[in-house]
Amino acid sequence: MLIKIDGKECGCKHGEFILEVAKRNGIEIPNLCHHEGLPGQGCCRVCIVEVEINGWRNIVTACVYPLERECEVFTNSPRVIKQRAMVLALLHSLAPGSSEVSELCEKYNVPSYRRFVKKNDTKCILCGLCAKACESLGTGAISTVNRGTGKAVTTPYGEPSYECVGCASCAKVCPTGAIMVEEGAGSRKIWGKKIPLLKCKKCGEPAGTYMELRRAAEKLGEGMPELCEACRKKEIAEKLASIYGY
Amino acid sequence: MNYTILVCCGTGCIASGSLSVVEALQNEINSQGANAEVLKQIKKTGCNGFCENGPIVKIMPGGISYYKVKPKDAKAIIAQLGDEPVEALLYRDKGKAVLTQKENPFYAPQVKVALRNIGEIDPCSLDDYLARGGYDALKKAINMPPNDIIAEVEASGLRGRGGAGFPTGRKWRTAAGYDNYPKYVVCNGDEGDPGAFMDRSILEGDPHTVLEGMAICALAIGANEGYLYIRDEYGLALKHVEKAICDAEAAGFLGSNIFGSGKGLNLSVVRGGGAFVCGESTALMASIEGRVGEPRAKYIRSVQRGLWNMPTVLNNVETLANIPVIINNGGKNFASLGTEKSAGTKVFALVGKVKRTGLVEVPMGCSLRHLIYDIGGGIIGGRPFKAVQTGGPSGGCIPADMLNLPVDFDTLTSYGAMMGSGGMIIMDDRSCMVEVARYYVNFLAGESCGKCTPCREGLRQMLAILTDICEGRGKEGDVELLEEISETVLDSSLCALGKSAPNPVITTIKYFRGEYDAHIKEKKCPAGVCTAITGFEIDAAKCTGCTLCKKSCPVSAISGTAKSAHEINKNICISCGACREACRFEAIKTVQKGGLANAD
Amino acid sequence: MPEQNITYEDITPLLLKYPKDQRHALAIMQDMQRHFNYIPRKGLEALADYLGCHISGLYSMATFYKSLSLKPKGRHIIKVCDGTACHIRGAVNLVSGIERVLGISADEVTGDGEFSLELVNCLGSCALAPVMVVDDEYYGKVTTDRLPEIFDALRGEARP
Repeated sequence: MLIKIDGKECGCKHGEFILEVAKRNGIEIPNLCHHEGLPGQGCCRVCIVEVEINGWRNIVTACVYPLERECEVFTNSPRVIKQRAMVLALLHSLAPGSSEVSELCEKYNVPSYRRFVKKNDTKCILCGLCAKACESLGTGAISTVNRGTGKAVTTPYGEPSYECVGCASCAKVCPTGAIMVEEGAGSRKIWGKKIPLLKCKKCGEPAGTYMELRRAAEKLGEGMPELCEACRKKEIAEKLASIYGY
Repeated sequence: MNYTILVCCGTGCIASGSLSVVEALQNEINSQGANAEVLKQIKKTGCNGFCENGPIVKIMPGGISYYKVKPKDAKAIIAQLGDEPVEALLYRDKGKAVLTQKENPFYAPQVKVALRNIGEIDPCSLDDYLARGGYDALKKAINMPPNDIIAEVEASGLRGRGGAGFPTGRKWRTAAGYDNYPKYVVCNGDEGDPGAFMDRSILEGDPHTVLEGMAICALAIGANEGYLYIRDEYGLALKHVEKAICDAEAAGFLGSNIFGSGKGLNLSVVRGGGAFVCGESTALMASIEGRVGEPRAKYIRSVQRGLWNMPTVLNNVETLANIPVIINNGGKNFASLGTEKSAGTKVFALVGKVKRTGLVEVPMGCSLRHLIYDIGGGIIGGRPFKAVQTGGPSGGCIPADMLNLPVDFDTLTSYGAMMGSGGMIIMDDRSCMVEVARYYVNFLAGESCGKCTPCREGLRQMLAILTDICEGRGKEGDVELLEEISETVLDSSLCALGKSAPNPVITTIKYFRGEYDAHIKEKKCPAGVCTAITGFEIDAAKCTGCTLCKKSCPVSAISGTAKSAHEINKNICISCGACREACRFEAIKTVQKGGLANAD
Repeated sequence: MPEQNITYEDITPLLLKYPKDQRHALAIMQDMQRHFNYIPRKGLEALADYLGCHISGLYSMATFYKSLSLKPKGRHIIKVCDGTACHIRGAVNLVSGIERVLGISADEVTGDGEFSLELVNCLGSCALAPVMVVDDEYYGKVTTDRLPEIFDALRGEARP
């Protein structure tokens, strides 16, 4: 199937999302809550574009809009520029502490709305990607709570979670670096919980928290790993090299 | 002669004491004992719609209707059965006593289709429903090919009564076209629009109609399982629906073998969790699945992938209540009512500052004026009409100069309002349109699921601005900023809640811009509602010293002796306006806080 | 019932009424809410155990749905309808009247644990606006001067 994005003809598969097709064709659509490993979040609305089908033009969300028929996509139409600027301005007043949001505001010439009520120097844009990552890893230590303007992300009862293994995946997927991870000597602190770290037998760097490594080992049905990710990869590479004699 | 005494036991009449009326009537009948030469039977019915005048008692045959009945009236009612009616309990229209509903200006113009059985039957009695042709349509449909059922619904032109007005037949046809099973049929009874209660009345007063409609839908699309998602607050509706399901299953109208045909439909009730957003189809389905009621992007519609990702038809209560009539009398017959593009009738909840408040069913296309003035009797106290709010938080406010607009799906939408589920809130000159906009935005800011940025953050900023305006802190440019945010919320929100949330703001700005300007530029509320900038004063020349205002004041801020002019102590007054409502001499005027009189 | 007095024996029967399926999570929590007047922490933990799901998902639901509460409510729950019809017919004054009489704001519980006050969406009794519902009893066209009498009567009711 062929579609047009900003005048450029692009090939795509039926059902593919606009954002993927644009990316493949070197067309940039800004976004915050999209993560390739955790698709379908579709809530920051920064990636809005305009789609024209049979003369009808609509604003859609590029990261979750499936291409099912021939159409033309506009990523920088006046309507997109205007709405995206407002979305970014709203995000900026929600997370004035986020440099990612500030940079996007600057890049897309978002005016500053002095009338907007700003939240105190927070970075979180409430996209919920962290909770989604945690859930999809089977940990389920954090979730979104409340609704409407009271929405937040936390552990149950706001206390250190029994289920958190300290893998910090939430922090890794967070588009604005809003989740605090304190890496200390021998332990990691996240969501108010201190979890001991296991050191790599080879290089001495932290290989991960004891709990996350045990969880991974249980799932794979293997023993506890002794090496960090980097050393483990190196070891495999060396093994392969010796077998094939590179 | 056998008499049936129908006592309205809808939520409204129960609140006004109808259960004790039933008891008193029964005691009265019992006390006459076996000597009674006439058979008298009492039936507890669903909502008659005229809740404001409850409890309502109707005598059959004849249909003489009594209003505001008290237990002490039981003696006279029973004694005068078949005799002269009890004059004092009749409804009075312009001083003239009205005997039956047919002559009552509230009921006379109504055409009852969805509400056809309500108030006439005991909703807990399957026999009552059967006696009025209940389940005949299902019996007919069971022998029809699914395609014919769908064709009949398509021919009727029926459109969804829940808000969006999507053609019901087309929805069914799409769902029937998918070949993956199981399929589901779901009834949306999560009536959330403030000021609408038609679904509650139907579920309470005629639950079998809804079940029959669902069963017909299930036959048409090939579903064997269905859910009714009903608000947890609707206790009576839940009770009646659950009983109706049991009775219908026992009679073989539902369950695994409908009318012995081998086709089946199992229905379950799901109690809503108390979230307005769950009226949105994908959020409702998430809630049935046992998750947080957050909507998802609807680029793939729920008829294709709905409940548990299977084809699902979601219909509103009122929509389903029309289905048996369409199957029985034919789609064409149904389409002969209403307008070309909005067929049939619609149930409206006429509420707010209107004289005759209640539930009314009229053919689509009648004018707002007809609804508000002919049926509703105009504004309470003869005050000037200011606006009618239709469509709940997704709808808009329509001003007085548009009263001749016909009420149908497309006309209302084209004026920025919406039919919605049929709530009509009538407002007079003492309703502040800025405050009304603030009220809806506040409602939605709390009811938004909070998932997407435009809805959650846009509403947060709009609420802050509107609150500022109502409290005298509005700034030049606020109205334009509200319009700018509105545009983005409408355009780029995830679900229908956000995509319509700014409508109350947009329409009040469009039709009542002057009120915004008065708040922002002059710091005054023309309607005298916004307490932060409104004060009250008694006009000594008009005050008769009747003391009504003094009695109504919740904080004892009013002083004065009988027959002499009263005075409001501004230091105590909380600007609630209770005195103004109580005064019958227009002696209480609004002033700006600080003392400047409002020029009306 | 305070959390420390609640045992798993109190909770289990509420769980066993439903099959172990995620789709009954909301119904079970509603039953708990009715039984305990709130959702105790032990209840949420037991439910997560029963359904084999994470407590975070249930916690998310418990904070999302308005009919569920994680804090104990009063013995009598006063719901004031703030639907549009009630709103323009004096619900705001009714709420401030209740606040004056009971000394609590919306979503609070009186010191003696007798009453909690909630603002709710339309109760569908618009014809009787403004409407207040205490426990399951409806009060239509409520004026603030009737409040002390209504609350005194409820206070006097014997505890079950």
